[in-house]
Amino acid sequence: MKFRVERDVLADAAAWVARSLPARPPVPVLGGVLIDAGAEGDRLTVSGFDYETSARVELDATIGDPGRLLVSGRLLADITRALPNKPVDLVVDGSRATINCGSSRFSLPTMPVEDYPQLPGMPQRAGAVDAAELAGAVAQVAVAAGRDDTLPMLTGIRLEIEGTRLTLAATDRFRLAVRELDWQPEDASGSTAVLIPAKTLSDVAKTLAGAGSVEIALSAGDGMLGLTGGGRRATTRLLDAEFPRFRQLIPAEHTTAAELQVSHLVEAIKRVSLVADRVAQIRMEFGEDGLRLAAGGEDVGSAEEELPCTLDGTPLTIAFNPGYLLDALGALHTEKAQLTFTTPNRPALVRPVLPPAEGEDTTPPASGYLHLLMPVRLPG
Amino acid sequence: MRLVIARCQVDYVGRLTAHLPMAPRLLLVKADGSVSIHADDRAYKPLNWMSPPCWLTEEPGVWTVRNKADESLVITIDEVLHDSSHELGVDPGLVKDGVEAHLQELLAAHPETFGEGFSLVRREYMTAIGPVDLLCRDAAGAHFAVEVKRRGEIDGVEQLTRYLELMNRDPLLGPVVGVFAAQQIKPQARTLAEDRGIRCLTVDYDALRGMDSKDLRLF
Repeated sequence: MKFRVERDVLADAAAWVARSLPARPPVPVLGGVLIDAGAEGDRLTVSGFDYETSARVELDATIGDPGRLLVSGRLLADITRALPNKPVDLVVDGSRATINCGSSRFSLPTMPVEDYPQLPGMPQRAGAVDAAELAGAVAQVAVAAGRDDTLPMLTGIRLEIEGTRLTLAATDRFRLAVRELDWQPEDASGSTAVLIPAKTLSDVAKTLAGAGSVEIALSAGDGMLGLTGGGRRATTRLLDAEFPRFRQLIPAEHTTAAELQVSHLVEAIKRVSLVADRVAQIRMEFGEDGLRLAAGGEDVGSAEEELPCTLDGTPLTIAFNPGYLLDALGALHTEKAQLTFTTPNRPALVRPVLPPAEGEDTTPPASGYLHLLMPVRLPG
Repeated sequence: MRLVIARCQVDYVGRLTAHLPMAPRLLLVKADGSVSIHADDRAYKPLNWMSPPCWLTEEPGVWTVRNKADESLVITIDEVLHDSSHELGVDPGLVKDGVEAHLQELLAAHPETFGEGFSLVRREYMTAIGPVDLLCRDAAGAHFAVEVKRRGEIDGVEQLTRYLELMNRDPLLGPVVGVFAAQQIKPQARTLAEDRGIRCLTVDYDALRGMDSKDLRLF
């Protein structure tokens, strides 16, 4: 086997595939990446699979001699990243693979290709969605996903398909993020719902962001999701768990609504929460003359800051975990945010507010995204 | 256990020399022969000590503790303020707040934690090499051996593997599938367990015993 490939292209491919490899492979071959130099055309594929997730990239190469090769993924990624920016020549001779690039030369042991598991086939194509929009939406929702294995259903992102509408949702019991977006389904009357591991989905969506359009393939029966775009494809096993019925958690009414400049609020929270490390809460006092942020106490020190805000409804004092509040505000991607409340012990709704259209003074909050955030108990 | 509170001066003569000037201190003479000198601070750490085997010789005003390497701890006593001896007997050992036993008890009471339709066959199911924490049966009647740990580490997986190997030899029981249940499972232990076909389950102790945290939650 012999081929020549651009260093950047190979480094990107190896880095992406190696990311999805297990950190502690139970069988050494599972720590490898498979390089397949096809017999026809000058296409090279780099792939990896650990029985949970799979990643596969196709790239252009000049193939001298077709063949297949299995080498340590981590090593290949580290080496290709460090190579000088010159064409890379890879030659397999017996059980050694030699990488030549400029004046540097690496010789790596190869692993038996026959022992490597077959990559899963792509499930049935379900539809396509704009790549950048999907990446943005997944990132907005993934912040709220749980990281604790005790409750596996909370480590996933729920994907609901209802005709031309996609809904993504994640929650860790303290917050809930929901994002809706449009897509082009194969079957416009189709409706289904699956639960995807949040970490895998956000990694994959992020790497496919520049692909233009991402194809979603789904097979709820086999418990598999596939994403394809820009020469890359990834599959992941779905989570077999019941996602909580999240829609009933979203309050329909509110008694207080505040509209704020996101960047000002974020900066103020960061400043004030410097003294909130032990108690981990920041108090927000919404009054007629604006918002007063306060944190800390007698022993650590305390901080306060006032911010202008448009208040509609009854004044209220409520406290939040500052980290969660920053996560929510950071996921909005708008200049203004609307926060709505009922009581200091009930969840608050954070929504993006789009700039008003020409000729209008105000706009209602955008409907595509919402972040529900549970407050923390006020002292006393 | 002999407790002596005395104004004393301590000199250690051996590989390293040390000197503690005259001051009131607590001297502990333990049943294993060890002698340690404590000040009124730093919890469990003595100012100076000699580990067993060592021998104490008491002369008026001077105690000498000697060990095999012929090092000695010389305690010059000015005034004894307290001297008492107590028979403590054999210590039962440290019980790590009994969480593991309680977890086992709770899981036995809630076998549905392992999956729908699971029922308990018995706790402490006896095998030739020791008892398995829990033996359960799923809705289809297949057996599951459960090892319960507070922290799931490699040795717990090894232990369960040994039980499983033995239990799978029993034609009336087998095939027996393993479940490794712990409050927290180390990544290495999880990899090993999954490689051996053992299911890993992280259990929420507080939820099992019905203790909710005070934090406000959405659901």
